[in-house]
Amino acid sequence: MITLARRWGSLAALLMVWEIAVVTRAVDPDFLPAVHTIAAALWDLVSAGEIWINLLASTYRALVGLAIGTAVGVAVGLLMATSRAANGFFGPLVAMTYSLPKASLVPLFILWFGIGDTTNMLTVFLATLLPVVVSTYHGVKAVPQVLVWSAQAMGTPRAQILRRILIPASLLSILTGMRIALGFSWVLTISAEMIAAKTGIGKLIFLYGENGSYAYMFAGILAIVAVAYAADRAMVWLMHAALHWHDSADLAGEH
Amino acid sequence: MDAAANGATWLGQAAWRAVKFLYPIALVILAWAVAAHAGWVRPLFLPSPQAVAEQFWPMLNGGEIVAPLFLSLYRAFGGLVIALVIGAAVGVAIARTRWMRWGVDPLVSVAFPAPKIAFMPIFILWFGIDSVSKVLLVAFTCVFPIIVATYHGATTVSRTIVWSAQAMGTSERELLRRVILPATLPYIFSGLRVTVPVALITAYTAEMVAGGGGLGSALMYAQRFFQTPSVFLYIILMLLSGVVLDQFMLAARSWLIPWQPEEDS
Repeated sequence: MITLARRWGSLAALLMVWEIAVVTRAVDPDFLPAVHTIAAALWDLVSAGEIWINLLASTYRALVGLAIGTAVGVAVGLLMATSRAANGFFGPLVAMTYSLPKASLVPLFILWFGIGDTTNMLTVFLATLLPVVVSTYHGVKAVPQVLVWSAQAMGTPRAQILRRILIPASLLSILTGMRIALGFSWVLTISAEMIAAKTGIGKLIFLYGENGSYAYMFAGILAIVAVAYAADRAMVWLMHAALHWHDSADLAGEH
Repeated sequence: MDAAANGATWLGQAAWRAVKFLYPIALVILAWAVAAHAGWVRPLFLPSPQAVAEQFWPMLNGGEIVAPLFLSLYRAFGGLVIALVIGAAVGVAIARTRWMRWGVDPLVSVAFPAPKIAFMPIFILWFGIDSVSKVLLVAFTCVFPIIVATYHGATTVSRTIVWSAQAMGTSERELLRRVILPATLPYIFSGLRVTVPVALITAYTAEMVAGGGGLGSALMYAQRFFQTPSVFLYIILMLLSGVVLDQFMLAARSWLIPWQPEEDS
């Protein structure tokens, strides 16, 4: 309880200052709705089911895009790390496209595939692909060559080396890349929804903003911030669960 | 070996490196050209590379490239500078004082994974549709990675060095300026290098979402009128601006912090 208070005390204090500032009219409630107004709006969205439909649509897009991006990203990263020709081919392409805002492709995808899940997921896929490729590549490159040589000396087939040595040894790096990609997946989902969509939390936030229903707009933003935070914590938990055997498993200072 | 031959091999090596880097990109453009010319897809959906390239001069002369590009760059860098100043100050402060850590740590841990673009409507509400809201959204997006990088750097300064300085009567101010900051600078710079593309991406995306000029809204405008060659040209410009800035950051790093070589990234 005390650690909880210490951990979240400053956030609670911030909310309190916010509430008092608006209630006493030090801040215009038209610009910043009071905390209790936003809470009521959030409750309204939750009980009417409106928030669930849109959060579900956005989460579905973000996670499917992330899953495909991770699968392809790990494959390409492994290929680049183990084949010089593949590295020569994909390396420049990754370097060139890394800092391209993937949201800039949304107008093009709308032209090709129309407004909807395909456009959205394809954008998320491309945005999540690159961090996973890069982190997989670096992770595999950092695997001590001795391990691979020993396995080869014992006659381990290539597929086994991949599955039993390269992937487990680079798992921390792959998961770190995936955590970055997870963050990207929310940003790209919401950007794409704000640019053009029929459903989704990004669309919801934008609509309420345009209608001037600011308490509902804040409530929507609060909801997606909470979901993104929960997803990030889940990812960290997954990293610990998957890497409890690893040297760096004490990265949260549990040892 | 004489100097001329030496120069020739050096040139040859540089040319070879350029070819090795550029051939995959050339292949992609070739595949694009083949697909466009084969007539599998309508030019409205996929214009040929030539059609896109031909747009360049008319659009440049029409003022559709330079002014929007600089507006976007201004927004990205304005936000980045704000994020750098605040982020470095907050990062050092939470590394050095306990109550700052208590106050800021939970905020950072919640805000770090949050998709900042979702806050765009709030920034529009508070600061309007023009540059200010975009500059501040960029700052809001970039400040957290810089805080974390600075904090990380400032906590790695060896305690013995800090104690030695204090034992010699160094004031807290001098300590910051002469010990903490130089030791933290490489970390801040690493954070900054990660953040430069983020700033650019955020500025472009904010413009696409909210309009108000810049390359992002020019792109949306071109799409609305189905000027697909212009859409492609704007995307390529965005891509090149990121690549150029990253090269610039690499050069700036070796110039600013020559005592720490870039770790392979």
